Amino acid sequence: MRSRITAIAAVAILATGFAFASEDTRWVNVKVTEHSEGTNVEVHLPLNLVLSVLKSVDVENFHRGHVDLDIDDVDIDWVEMLAAVKDAPDGQFVTVESSDANVSVRKEGGTFFIDVDEIDGEQAKVKVQLPVEFMDAIYINEESQIDIAAMLESFDKFPNGDIVTVESSDADVRVWIE
Amino acid sequence: MRQRGMSTFGGILLAGLAGMMTAAVVTDWMIIDVQIADPDPMHIRVPFPLFIADVASSFVPKEALEETTIPPEVTANKELILAAITGLLDAPDTALVKVDAPDAQVEVSKMGDNLWISVDADDAKVRCTIPLDGVLHALEKWDWQTFDPDLIFDTLGKADNGPLVTVEVDDGTKVAVNLW
Repeated sequence: MRSRITAIAAVAILATGFAFASEDTRWVNVKVTEHSEGTNVEVHLPLNLVLSVLKSVDVENFHRGHVDLDIDDVDIDWVEMLAAVKDAPDGQFVTVESSDANVSVRKEGGTFFIDVDEIDGEQAKVKVQLPVEFMDAIYINEESQIDIAAMLESFDKFPNGDIVTVESSDADVRVWIE
Repeated sequence: MRQRGMSTFGGILLAGLAGMMTAAVVTDWMIIDVQIADPDPMHIRVPFPLFIADVASSFVPKEALEETTIPPEVTANKELILAAITGLLDAPDTALVKVDAPDAQVEVSKMGDNLWISVDADDAKVRCTIPLDGVLHALEKWDWQTFDPDLIFDTLGKADNGPLVTVEVDDGTKVAVNLW
């Protein structure tokens, strides 16, 4: 009897360990469904892996997670602007209606929603949703480089859910965190 | 009076043979198995101990290896490649990539210290196990300038026993590379 209890306890401890291990890992998922050929691509990568790879890339405009924005001429106080956006009350911020596309940017219940409905071409519908806290992770340094790695790092604190979805006549794309 | 015993030469020969046999028993073996179906059915099975291949590779002239040039993109991305492999080793086991196309299904999974690649195409099935810890060990030792056969043996040295690569072609040809 005692050995059975010991075995059950050991299994329970191991199972708890595995459960915590799997909860600790955040995953970046990408699913692409291509319509013409019917090809599906699913990518399921640990966030840490994506980050460590990103921080090792040093190419022309991408330096260890920093991307050159080439906006030297624009004089913007990014910190102030992003703080203002973050602290803004819920509401519709931007609405653009044109013959090319309709764009909408709104804040609702602690989340930013950016919707783009392309009217011409592939008639893509792009939906981006980001927690307000994401604004804290946007950092542009004095050399006009945006820190993509820091933005991605902030995904670690996001709740599970979609980040970007694209529906078009060509393909559907879904990017989500879990 | 004639002395009984073993001559020095015989002793050396026997010791050498015993050493070879011991090394062959304790070392990993690679078994290459090729089956060709029609029109001329053939089954070739070549087992060889890895240490012999390792020793044989040391006879390859240094100049020949120095002539092999590694593309500069590979060397430039050394840090990225090492980071990716380290990240993969630290990652939990999971299916990393799945591609489901009309003419092929591809899956790349991480299982333990191995990267497992499966390709099911219309005309062939390929299964490949890559020992990530072996690859990392080999790449960390490598100079990233010239081809070094040790890359292969350092990688294989950390591989689990079992199938490394299997290929099945729709004409009946089968190729398997196993470690034993």
